[in-house]
Amino acid sequence: MNNIGSEVWLAMVTCFAAVFTNNILLTTFLGMCPFTSVSREVKTAAGLGGAVVFVMTFTTVLNWLAYKYVLIPLELEFFRFILFIIIIAAFVQFVEMVIDRYSPKLYQSLGIFLPLITVNCAILGASLFMVIRQYSFIVTIGYGFGSGVGWFLAILAMAGIRQRLNESRVPEGLRGPGITLIIAGLMALAFIGFTGVLN
Amino acid sequence: MRDKPYFAVIYMFILTAFFSALLIGFSRMTRQRVQMNEQLNFEWAVVQAFPKIQYQNNQQIHQIFTKQFAKDEQIGAYLYQKDGRLQGYAVPFSGKGFWDKIEGVIGIAADKKTITGVSFYEQKETPGLGARIDEDEFRRQFIGKTIEDGPKPIGIVPSAQTLAENQVHAVTGATQTSIRLEALMNQDIRAWLDAVEKKEVAP
Amino acid sequence: MIPTKPTKEIMLDGLWRDNPIFRQILGICSTLAITNVVLNTAVMCISLTLVTALSCLTVSFLRNWTPRNIRMMVQTLIIAFYVIIVDLILKAYWPQMSRNLGPFVGLIITNCIVMGRCEAFAGSNRPLPSFMDGLFNGIGYSFMLLAISVVRELLGMGTILGIAMPYFSTPYWDKWIIMVMPPGAFFALASIIWLCRSMKRKGAKS
Repeated sequence: MNNIGSEVWLAMVTCFAAVFTNNILLTTFLGMCPFTSVSREVKTAAGLGGAVVFVMTFTTVLNWLAYKYVLIPLELEFFRFILFIIIIAAFVQFVEMVIDRYSPKLYQSLGIFLPLITVNCAILGASLFMVIRQYSFIVTIGYGFGSGVGWFLAILAMAGIRQRLNESRVPEGLRGPGITLIIAGLMALAFIGFTGVLN
Repeated sequence: MRDKPYFAVIYMFILTAFFSALLIGFSRMTRQRVQMNEQLNFEWAVVQAFPKIQYQNNQQIHQIFTKQFAKDEQIGAYLYQKDGRLQGYAVPFSGKGFWDKIEGVIGIAADKKTITGVSFYEQKETPGLGARIDEDEFRRQFIGKTIEDGPKPIGIVPSAQTLAENQVHAVTGATQTSIRLEALMNQDIRAWLDAVEKKEVAP
Repeated sequence: MIPTKPTKEIMLDGLWRDNPIFRQILGICSTLAITNVVLNTAVMCISLTLVTALSCLTVSFLRNWTPRNIRMMVQTLIIAFYVIIVDLILKAYWPQMSRNLGPFVGLIITNCIVMGRCEAFAGSNRPLPSFMDGLFNGIGYSFMLLAISVVRELLGMGTILGIAMPYFSTPYWDKWIIMVMPPGAFFALASIIWLCRSMKRKGAKS
């Protein structure tokens, strides 16, 4: 019992770390492509971010199960790259179908983002990190959820800032991606400040 | 034939089978090497924790490790034996650093006090900053220090402070790494000390 | 059939005119994290260039047989195949580097450049030009990332490839620690994009 308690505690710490100090976007730069292209408006950014939280939590857990119970017994660990991608793609497709069938309204706001997620490196990255760091099942849940929330926070904040940026004068060569990256750098700087909290 | 619906399925199947076969063949070829590398990485760290051990190449490390080190499950450490006498303990430690996991080994002499050396086999701290814990300059400080039988067996303190017998200077600027390294090393050394005491009381 | 572009044009497009990084802002995700040390970046860039070139070659070879509706799956399979081979080679013969790069080798699979070149060029061109296209896009990409890593390592640690540089490694240079930390990557990349875009604009005007 005590063991499970400490596992849950560890999962919570890992979750917190994944949101703030080890934010997958701001420290390992995963998911940069949609981050720079979809962060123009708060509403779309929130939609994509929400979809990422959902998909990331479930795919890391599914991939953990697949890795532990399929690939390791078969000694095919190196196949994880292919298997993880297939699982992610299949999961996204499945969710798209379910949402389309039961909630057309949600589909309209979330559905267009789902195909974008299959090629989001952050999703695959989270699964690969989970394998390399040898997380247990419970910690994996915390990690997957935390990474998703971290990504969500980063893109939401970025979209908020960029909306204001429309009215400011930016040097020509820096417009678009350039200024986005500089803002992301400042955000990363701020997020590093959270490290002291974890002690 | 290309327009038939089943063609896509057959095509994909053949392609997957072909590439998978190549990959499985290739991984079988390298598998042994990969496993040996992983094992050697740890063995290297253990041997490094005892700087007096002489070796020329990786093969010798492996030989020394298998001959002179034996795992004692009860105390969670490796016993270093040479010429029929206990020379020391190799105590592995691990935990989360600033960015990622830090894993290493601390060598402690047979008196269970004197540190013979410290080595790391896994760390991804900030290059040029936290990662300097892996440099000789930092690691060498530990040699000859003695651990304290208290809640904090070792200490990593800022470089302005004068050192006690169980303390070393931190890498300048790497505060977060030092705090965590100290905590994770102490946790595992403490656990080892407790296990040793327990074993001595009830052999 | 569309006439194939001459090789020289393909090279120029990949290296400068359509450079994947500052023109297309593609594929920075999987590599930016390890640009704080030049050596790691170099190994990563070589892996990526090889994977791109070979995947393009293979995709181009198979282009006449691959049914259109499953071409993405086929491309992913081919890319993953080469990535796994690179990963296994590193694990077996350079374990230290494999540990340094961690999951980032695997992430080449989702790197938009590889898939992008396979889809945009290799799917409709002959094998040799496709190979060249992949190769030079990879080189164009590597060259930008190496520039970033040189700036980061020099300013942050005072070294290049681990070799101490004059002035930068002396006490006169107060090391910019932030450059080897994640925010430094954003600043370095933004500055380089700014520089290249401004240079290009000037070139276009004159």
